[in-house]
Amino acid sequence: MTDPDFELIDKIIAGEQPLFGELVNRYKSYAFTIALKVLDNRAEAEEAAQDAFVKAYNHLKNFKKDARFSTWLYRIVFNTAISYKRKRKGTFQSIENTVVAYGQEAEGLLERNDKKKFIRQAMNNLNEADKLAINLFYLQEFSLEEVAEITGMQANTVKVRVHRARQRLADELAVILKNEALTL
Amino acid sequence: MNKIPQLLENQLLELIDGNLSASEKEKIEQEIEHSPEVKKRYNQLVEIDRALKTIQLEQPSKTFTQIVMAKLNSQPLQTGFSIKNGLLLLFGVLIAVGAATVLLATGVFDTAGTIDLNNIVAPNLTKEPLPSVPFNGKLVVNGIIILNIVLAFLILDRTILKPWFNRRINDMQF
Repeated sequence: MTDPDFELIDKIIAGEQPLFGELVNRYKSYAFTIALKVLDNRAEAEEAAQDAFVKAYNHLKNFKKDARFSTWLYRIVFNTAISYKRKRKGTFQSIENTVVAYGQEAEGLLERNDKKKFIRQAMNNLNEADKLAINLFYLQEFSLEEVAEITGMQANTVKVRVHRARQRLADELAVILKNEALTL
Repeated sequence: MNKIPQLLENQLLELIDGNLSASEKEKIEQEIEHSPEVKKRYNQLVEIDRALKTIQLEQPSKTFTQIVMAKLNSQPLQTGFSIKNGLLLLFGVLIAVGAATVLLATGVFDTAGTIDLNNIVAPNLTKEPLPSVPFNGKLVVNGIIILNIVLAFLILDRTILKPWFNRRINDMQF
């Protein structure tokens, strides 16, 4: 597999540490976005993404080059963000028990043409893996296989999660629009 | 609205993602055309798909890269004490303990004696003659063996077990 990053990685491993800054610049937005989607807190996401880059640097020698560097890096970012979340909460929220919060607040805030805002809110109620799967899928950067590699899931599982998440969002949207229509 | 079958929902999503063959596409499009409920659900899913396509990358702070590089530079230097070196050191300590135990068992250190301090300290430094100190070789060697065993446990912990578990934790995070 040829990846434009491989040459840069070889130089970094050979001792040219400052070149790692180029990799950071190249991938920081995606790394930060992934961490943010998991943690929902900008400061924490930034710290987690930075830690992930430091981990990636320390384990660069172990990178086997049988996948894209970005996929390998994003998996580290995802796992680091999950560790941060575990440390913060102590417990893990399961998708099976997750109910999209729809209540007075959502009802009050939602305007007819404000679906984007609602979707963002509803997305926050998905679990980490579903949220990340759907985000990566829609950021147009990754195939289902790559999303699977980052999150440590099977490609089929990712597909199911992406489908299920969209269905849930559509269900919620339908309920809200129905309620809105009743109040008119 | 009645819930449409899961299989049909999946096909609607595959249609939206553009994953259906021409014949499958035609079939599901007919279904959409003929069933108002399927059409409604399809429109809902299309709406969600459109909204999700507006997801944008988030940008970290401007100092992000500098902070990462600063963290790299402030990392403590690696000790260079690899697990292999730790094992070699542990092996050496255990050999020393084994050799001392064998020598002890063969009675090499059984003879008890005394150390005459007058032979060690210069005579002009003391007014009165110094006493002789009893010396038990067996006791001293036993003490050295115990110290070596404690040292072996420390080496096992610091240079072998701790790095090994840290490596496993890091590997699990990958």
